[in-house]
Amino acid sequence: MSKVPESGTSAGRAGTSAVGELPTARQALLAGLGVLFWGWLIVRWSYDRLVAPSVNVTDREPFVPAGPLEGVADALSTVATDLGALGTPIGWLAWAFETAALGVRNLPALAEGALITVQLTVVSILCGLVIAVPLAVARVYGGPVTRWTALAYTELIRGTPLLAQLFVLWFGLSLGPPVRGLPGVGGPLPSAAVVVAMIGFTINSSAYQSEYIRSALTGVDAGQLTAARAIGLGKLAGIRHVVLPQALRFAIPGWTNEFIYLIKYSSLAAFITVPELFRRARDIGADTFRFTDIYAVIAVFYLAFVLTTAAAMRHFEDRTAIPGLN
Amino acid sequence: MDAVAVETAAILVPDLLGWVPLQTGGDWMFVWENRRFLLLGTAVTILLTLASVGLGFLLGLPAGAIEAYGDGRLQSVVSTVGVALRGTPIVVLIVLFFFGLPIPRQLGSIPVLDVRMSGFLAATLALGLRSAAYQSQVFRGTIQSVGEGQLKAARSLGLSKPAAIRHVVLPQALRRSVPGFQNEFTIVLKDTSVVFAIGLAELLRRGYQLFTQPGRQGAIIEVILAISLIYFVLTFTTNRLLDLLDHHYAIPGGES
Amino acid sequence: MTLLAFDGVTKHYGEELVLDAVSFELDRSEVEVIIGPSGSGKSTLLRCVNRLAEVDNGTIRFDGEPIGDTDADELRRQVGMVFQDFNLFAHRTALGNVTLGLRRVRGFSKEEARERARRELEQVGLGAQLDSYPAELSGGQKQRVGIARALAMDPELLLFDEPTSALDPELIGEVLAVMRELADDGMTMLCVTHELGFARSVADRLTFLEAGAIVERGDPERLFTDPRSDRTAEYLSRLTGEY
Ligand SMILES: Nc1ncnc2c1ncn2[C@@H]1O[C@H](COP(=O)(O)OP(=O)(O)OP(=O)(O)O)[C@@H](O)[C@H]1O
Ligand SMILES: [Mg+2]
Repeated sequence: MSKVPESGTSAGRAGTSAVGELPTARQALLAGLGVLFWGWLIVRWSYDRLVAPSVNVTDREPFVPAGPLEGVADALSTVATDLGALGTPIGWLAWAFETAALGVRNLPALAEGALITVQLTVVSILCGLVIAVPLAVARVYGGPVTRWTALAYTELIRGTPLLAQLFVLWFGLSLGPPVRGLPGVGGPLPSAAVVVAMIGFTINSSAYQSEYIRSALTGVDAGQLTAARAIGLGKLAGIRHVVLPQALRFAIPGWTNEFIYLIKYSSLAAFITVPELFRRARDIGADTFRFTDIYAVIAVFYLAFVLTTAAAMRHFEDRTAIPGLN
Repeated sequence: MDAVAVETAAILVPDLLGWVPLQTGGDWMFVWENRRFLLLGTAVTILLTLASVGLGFLLGLPAGAIEAYGDGRLQSVVSTVGVALRGTPIVVLIVLFFFGLPIPRQLGSIPVLDVRMSGFLAATLALGLRSAAYQSQVFRGTIQSVGEGQLKAARSLGLSKPAAIRHVVLPQALRRSVPGFQNEFTIVLKDTSVVFAIGLAELLRRGYQLFTQPGRQGAIIEVILAISLIYFVLTFTTNRLLDLLDHHYAIPGGES
Repeated sequence: MTLLAFDGVTKHYGEELVLDAVSFELDRSEVEVIIGPSGSGKSTLLRCVNRLAEVDNGTIRFDGEPIGDTDADELRRQVGMVFQDFNLFAHRTALGNVTLGLRRVRGFSKEEARERARRELEQVGLGAQLDSYPAELSGGQKQRVGIARALAMDPELLLFDEPTSALDPELIGEVLAVMRELADDGMTMLCVTHELGFARSVADRLTFLEAGAIVERGDPERLFTDPRSDRTAEYLSRLTGEY
């Protein structure tokens, strides 16, 4: 494609996104923070793997010492107590510094959890997509039996909670032990619980993704497939080369929503023992008895993931935009 | 600590089991014998859903109107809070509200249902505020779809802007909101299961309590399938009921 | 040398009779124009030829073979179709619209396909628009891409379904010019069009279809000057009166 698509061809279609738009002034600031966040994560992950792979997660040192933050927090709370009732706002500030110090001290462990969160989300959304496309095609173009089967699958999955689905796989079917026996699991591949969580998220998100793709497929003009068939392409080839490339572009906003949902719902893997971000926070909370503070810290992590993903997907949508489509 | 107990059980249980295929008769009997226990959990789930969706509606509608019509600081605050609520996992919101809010623990329990009031309030706030953030998006969209013309026409009759919004725009916007609201309703219904994290005795937690009873590990799959079926029936009926509502409103207006 | 033969072709949509015992023959290198009121079954007749619609009764022979006996995809390769609303592949450039069939149906290599597509597009006067997307082209340019896309498959017969009806009047000429050129080069064409000038000067046969049945068929000039059926006379005078 040698033609540069006019920018803004898709800008009018922001619609209701899963997160929504922040006021513009804040967006620039957040873009900077987003780069910083991902930069730190990538350096941290590489460092822990290349430089100090043998050190236990909890023994790893953060790149930035937490001491100064604690010092400020201590000083502020002394001032706050001295001022009595007037000191309350300063007390809050002291809390903010304490929380930041707690976060910094645990950054290596949180980064490790964040890595699993990212793996869970990316692997599951992509595997889910691989299932969702044929599922959606079956819904729209299939015969009565395939159509009904695909419908039953999506409705059953979408009609029950994700956490219950994870429980079916983990407690009900006890997928842990057999998965643990698979070659590579726990070695080059992630641990058994992570793999089971990926299976669950893949199944779950395939149903939701197929809904977005299905409605995008029905949005493609029927004349497109007719024209494809008229030059001698078979039905599947016509769908593959003519209908899907257009439908998948239509589906990007919905697909972004699903991606963002999955980032957030990946936290439910904690309940089947996966040491991702939320579970790391829970462990840190149990060690320090500072649940609220550490949960506030990871809320910021998730927000950073969600907002950067939304921005990246908007960029991707603009990059893949074609004049006249959308 | 409750959370630690969950964790230990979660690690131990599957190891004790090995591969457990679907069992016959006896385990379904076990589910049947505990039907009252599970139905009470279903009642908690429904109560929690209604309270959260209701709270979400009460806050989400004005928030949506502010996002559509407001200007300056108020709108900026509403949309920023909205982004924060929509960008944080529901489980994190629930535990944050549970541990972070100064809800007195001595509030006692809801009778019969055996649910701690403090946990129920925290869960309702978390689910309700998050739902408000999503519902505001639905309402903002439908309010904007009603269009400027309607507002101008109403104002030209001498109605003040708030009155015009309230009496002319909102009634039309609400009708168009049913499908979006339907989606949000079922999301809340399914997400009440995440309250598992703070040990509230809703449906999923009760199922978990049943199959982690000593000697009952054989019935795990039956219990989970039974509660999944209950969730499915709940989402299915919710969808059908709201379809009826949509249908009921669609006829007089013509434009959906 | 008959290329296309209809023999008692009947087609229903539900209860509605859309084609009523249609029979005619079209020789190689001949151009046939079909006219008729809206809903008379013109599009359906064309779609039966490349099996986008299936007939209920009667047979259609293409090159002597009943079309039911050949593979539908192979038949469609040999029978090109040009649509009223173009149906260009919206996600592909002009060049991409033409290469798709070359690559996926005829098995050309990427380079061969680009080269051939470029030539086809130059042929219809679009050498400068190779990389434009459909949305960036005028109606007349779109329809010429549609023709190039069909020609690239080396069809033996081209079907045109009101190729100029969706065009602004000033753009119709450029599409008719391309069609005229094709006719001069000996392409066999079956055209539904209400461009009577084209019918009179280019077509070898003119068919008037009404309620799914052929009312009259013959030399275009004769149908205009000496129609045998009152219905034909009435319809033609109404058409010419409009212009
Ligand atoms: N896919 C279909 N399903 C059901 N009925 C159809 C279908 N396609 C065409 N018809 C009906 O068949 C009849 C003939 O349609 P057709 O499109 O062949 O007419 P036409 O002569 O091309 O009309 P126009 O000039 O409006 O294009 C019409 O009554 C139409 O409603
Ligand atoms: Mg037609």
